[in-house]
This record gives sequence, structure tokens and C-alpha cells, in this order.
Amino acid sequence: MMSKWFKIILILLALGTLTAALVFKFVYNKPHPDFEEEQAICSLEVEEIYDSYKKNHVLADEKYLGQVVELKGEISTIEENDGLLIVSFVFEEGMFGDEGVRCTFLDNQKQDASLLKVGEQIILKGYCTGYNDTDVILEKCSFVKN
Amino acid sequence: MIKNVIILAAVIVTSSTLFAQQYVTKNGHIKFFSEMPSENIEANNKQVNTALNTVSGEFIFKVLMKSFEFEKRLMQEHFNENYVESDKFPNATFKGKVANLGEIDFSKNGTYPALIEGDLTLHGVTKKVSEKGEFIISNGKIQAKSNFKIRVADYDIVIPKMVRKNIAELLDITVDVSLLPYKK
Repeated sequence: MMSKWFKIILILLALGTLTAALVFKFVYNKPHPDFEEEQAICSLEVEEIYDSYKKNHVLADEKYLGQVVELKGEISTIEENDGLLIVSFVFEEGMFGDEGVRCTFLDNQKQDASLLKVGEQIILKGYCTGYNDTDVILEKCSFVKN
Repeated sequence: MIKNVIILAAVIVTSSTLFAQQYVTKNGHIKFFSEMPSENIEANNKQVNTALNTVSGEFIFKVLMKSFEFEKRLMQEHFNENYVESDKFPNATFKGKVANLGEIDFSKNGTYPALIEGDLTLHGVTKKVSEKGEFIISNGKIQAKSNFKIRVADYDIVIPKMVRKNIAELLDITVDVSLLPYKK
């Protein structure tokens, strides 16, 4: 027969292992957010977010930086670069070329995104990483079906 | 007469160099790597704006900190929230010059060693940096590559004691940008 202490130690060990496993899975190894499922904090015309960054990027960052936003607009350019599919909404010209809003699609959306045409109206949502003095950048974009 | 010829020649030379003197990309790649016995951490940003003026040597990088992608979400969160504080300092920039501009013929294919000097702003702190790299010119395209280290403490980035054994004091930075002529 097992002693009482032995049992307690065994239970504690089991609990410890379980906690470690849970911490590993849900804290250390927690998955990246599923940006396709994330709810957008707001829905805007593409011009609105661009103008807001152009006018005052600090205020705009307070609203949009690190957030998922939904945008509606007419595609100006589509390009593929280094494995990324990028759709741009262009409003101005600057030292880096076109200036506007650049949206990079999620991998699982690339197939659908590759069928897009310049001039097409779309609604998408994505994770805003800020404004680099040229473009407002949205990443992990997905289509919003209306 | 001779004066006019000189002026004309000067105009021709200037206008021909003005043509395609600005090379740009919006998809430059910057990687950083932290190597420690306990853990290697790597992050990639493929959305780096870069502009190079091949006449003046002016070289500019604009980086959004939140565009760095990590393998693990936890690391990405720590990086953004605790280390670079990307809500407060969303941008990093480098503004500098190609110091050995005279040794590089941007119109001729080849690999040229480069010396880049300028100001690196990260986490709201600006430091003078001078790094080696290379330009690889091939048929009108300029690839710029560099590998250097930065000391996180120089940029007032504080690594908490608890994770200090997991994050290197010196981060290894790899820059790889492919620039194309910017046509108006």
C-alpha cells in the first residue's frame, strides 16, 4: 500500500506536469490571431484612413494602429512581391512612388485575391501596422463579403 | 562658344544622370535574429520602404515595427509591447548616405562593397551608425545587402531580467532590398 505522502507527491507531480503542458500550449505556444475571424473595429472608405494619417499620424495611430479595420475602395494596383499579394489604393505621388493604402493578403486569401482587377470595388479588412510617411499599411487582409 | 559647349555638355550630363537616379522599393526585407543557447528568435519584415539616390548617395529606410513577424505570437507580443513599445514608437528609420559612392558604378553590372553611414532611429532613440554591405547591380536593378549587429541597450530597449537569458544583447540584423528605378 502506498503511503499517504507518496500519493500526495504523485498528485502534485501530475498537476505540475499538466500546468506546464497547459502553459506551454496556451501561453508559450499560443497561436497567432486568426485575422480572418477577427472583428474589425470600424468600417471606412479607404480615403478616410489615408486622410486621417496624412493629417495627423499620431492621432490616427491612436485609432487604428494594431487594430483590424475594414476598408472599402477601388483598386489602383495589384502586385506580387516576395510571396506577398498586395493591393494598393493610390492617392498621391511621392519620393517612393505611389502613395496611399497598401494591403497584403493572408495566404489563404491569395487565390481569390489574384483574381482581382484594377478598378474593382472591394471591401476588405486587415491588421493596420501604421503609416511609413508614404503608405498606410494593412496586413493579413481578407475579403469582407457584403 | 566654348562656354556654351560646356554648359550644353553639363546639361546633357546632368539630365542623363537625373534619369533613373532614384531607386525605390516598398518591399524591402529586414530580418533580425537573436541567438542564445536557450532559444533562437527570428523576425521578418518584408514591407520596408527604401529609397536610394545614386547621384547624391542618399539612402533611406522606413520600417514599421508592427510589420515584424515572429514564429511565436508570444514573442511578437513581447517584442511590440515590452521591448520596442511599438504603440509609442511605431516607426524606425534610417537616413544616411553611401559613404564610398565614388567606388560604385551603378550603371555597370557587378558586386560592389558599400559603406553606409547615417542616423538610425529606433525606439525613439537616434544613433549614428556606420555599416558595411554590398550593392549588386544587375541590368538596371540594384540589390543592397548588409548584415550588422545592434546593441539593444543603445536604443534604451530594456530586456527584463527574467528573459535576459533568452534574448541576446546584440541583435543580428540582415537587410536585403531590391531596388528598381522610380519613373514618374
